[in-house]
Amino acid sequence: MSDEANNQKSMDPTELWKQWYETSTKAWSNALDQGKETHVDPYGLYQSWLKSAGEIQEQVKTSPSGMIDPKEAWQQWFDTTTGIWRKTAEVGGDPLGFTTQWIDMMEDARARMQAEGSFPADPFTFFKQWYDATSEMWSKVVGDIIGTEKFVEAAGHFLESYTSFYRTFRRSSEEYFRNLQLPTRSDLARVAELVVNLEVKVDSVEDAFEDFKEGQQGAIREIGTVLDGRLDQVESKLEVLPVALKRIEELKGLSTRLDQVESKLDRVLSALEKLEGKKRSEPARSTSTSRPKTRKQAS
Amino acid sequence: MAEENIPAELDFESAFKKYTTGMQIILEGAKAETGQTPKEVIWTKNKAKLYHYVPTVEKRFPVPILMVYALINRPYVLDLMPGNSLVEYLVNRGFDVYMLDWGIPGDEDKNLTFENYVLDYIPRAVKKVLRTSHAEEYTLLGYCMGGTMCAMYTALFPGKPLRNLVLLTAPIDFTPDNMGLYGLWTSERYFNPDLIVDAFGNVPGEFVDTGNRMAKPVTNYVGSYVTMWDRIMQGKSMDTWLAMNKWVNDGVPFPGEAFRQWIKEFYQQNKLVKGEIKLRGQRVDLSNITCPVLNIAGKKDHICTLPQAEATMSLISSRDKEFFVLDAGHVGLLTGSDAKKGLWPKIQTWLEPRSKE
Repeated sequence: MSDEANNQKSMDPTELWKQWYETSTKAWSNALDQGKETHVDPYGLYQSWLKSAGEIQEQVKTSPSGMIDPKEAWQQWFDTTTGIWRKTAEVGGDPLGFTTQWIDMMEDARARMQAEGSFPADPFTFFKQWYDATSEMWSKVVGDIIGTEKFVEAAGHFLESYTSFYRTFRRSSEEYFRNLQLPTRSDLARVAELVVNLEVKVDSVEDAFEDFKEGQQGAIREIGTVLDGRLDQVESKLEVLPVALKRIEELKGLSTRLDQVESKLDRVLSALEKLEGKKRSEPARSTSTSRPKTRKQAS
Repeated sequence: MAEENIPAELDFESAFKKYTTGMQIILEGAKAETGQTPKEVIWTKNKAKLYHYVPTVEKRFPVPILMVYALINRPYVLDLMPGNSLVEYLVNRGFDVYMLDWGIPGDEDKNLTFENYVLDYIPRAVKKVLRTSHAEEYTLLGYCMGGTMCAMYTALFPGKPLRNLVLLTAPIDFTPDNMGLYGLWTSERYFNPDLIVDAFGNVPGEFVDTGNRMAKPVTNYVGSYVTMWDRIMQGKSMDTWLAMNKWVNDGVPFPGEAFRQWIKEFYQQNKLVKGEIKLRGQRVDLSNITCPVLNIAGKKDHICTLPQAEATMSLISSRDKEFFVLDAGHVGLLTGSDAKKGLWPKIQTWLEPRSKE
């Protein structure tokens, strides 16, 4: 823990919250009201609504029939609400000009709704009419306010005060529960962080494994491609063999035919020999002729 | 009118019922079934989950889409409810859709930074998408801060396997004059993110939500409920209102260190457009982006204003790039009848020719 945190004395968190609530509302009030310590409700909105609602309720009570005319009720509500806000603005409770603009807008909305005809009896229709009549102007007013440096500055101060308190509260609570030997949120977060880190490591292993598997599959695919190519080559070589065999068979056929031709020639030769022998023994027995060799003999 | 013939008791009963409905919503919060497009979780890391949406029709495009959402809200706004969901729309048109849900960070995640998200989480999710879909390329779609993260990721990992980049209302240029109220609110003079991070660790979701709602306080705090009562009183369907209101109030904490970085380096120092953002020592130079880019922005968007998104066009080097502007706000652009006519068909028609082999 940091030194700053160690300096925080542990105290009951509820007490701390109470203290903060009081100081922060005061801070808001001061920031928006230029340092004047006024009420907790800086714009007086809450009180105004409560007061006007109360007055209408009173009227219903005092009315003999227990009912009031809606038009009269809305008029009354407008009058009381705008009246109170006007007073609030007059006593200096309107540093951002918010209340004055709100009053103008209310008056304008009332005029528009009156011009449109009767006031609705049911609150939903009134609410819708009220919104339709005022939303555009209201948006502009709010937009003008929240878009000012003054507002952002005030919000910045509030944020500073709130976060400062929250930090203090958090550290104090941590210390408080630590003294009670109870695990705190940050203790649990630390354990969760360890689990997350472990999960990250498992995920890295899974990733590496998937890469490896993919790589292996890639290698297998590559080997398959190489083998495929080589098989193609073998296949193409094998395809040559039947052609060669066919040629051999053709040669065999030629050889048979040559044998046949040779045997025919042999027969022709032996016939010739016989014929020659006859010729030699009869008119020219004295002369001798050389016998031609057969192909077989020559070879 | 027909109502004039209704007996007074019945009319009162009906009004009472409507009043009860409204009060129930106000007191208990909006309840709606969201994110209903069938999906399966294909990867998790810490709180993050990667969803794969179950195809409903035959896959027509081999290039899957990975959606990346912002760190500060729940991603189901992209899959709000049946018939009102960008995810469902794309799945039904034959796209293979994935979404990275960052989850809800706990105290143990307060030290996570953009380095972790851009350099650790997104690349792992991309790998998973490619493996699951058996694809060689993918489309990255980032919404809001998710778009800024996607742009940074693309700048650091340009080229294959990334095929297309779709940016939905992604703030890139943080020049104060272009940011409307945020320019003033996040000014170094008035806003010190260290105070918040040091106090809370993670920035509470309500704090971020309030900041966003305060940009249009009357519409967000009053107008929204006027619409609610009006719809209830007129007996109109409340489904979309409930789903949207649930989403608006369902903000998640912003991891402390990432928030510090986001406010200081992006909002206050505008480092991204200057090319000064460094993630683990690697400079994020948006001119490295060369893939086809569809950059979408809303005219009425006050969270990512038009100039903030438009700046991307002059910073990237892509030849195939388009800046598409819709007459809508930051969220209205994504859902409802206008989205069905505007945003969804635009994404579909832009992606179709760029998602083929």
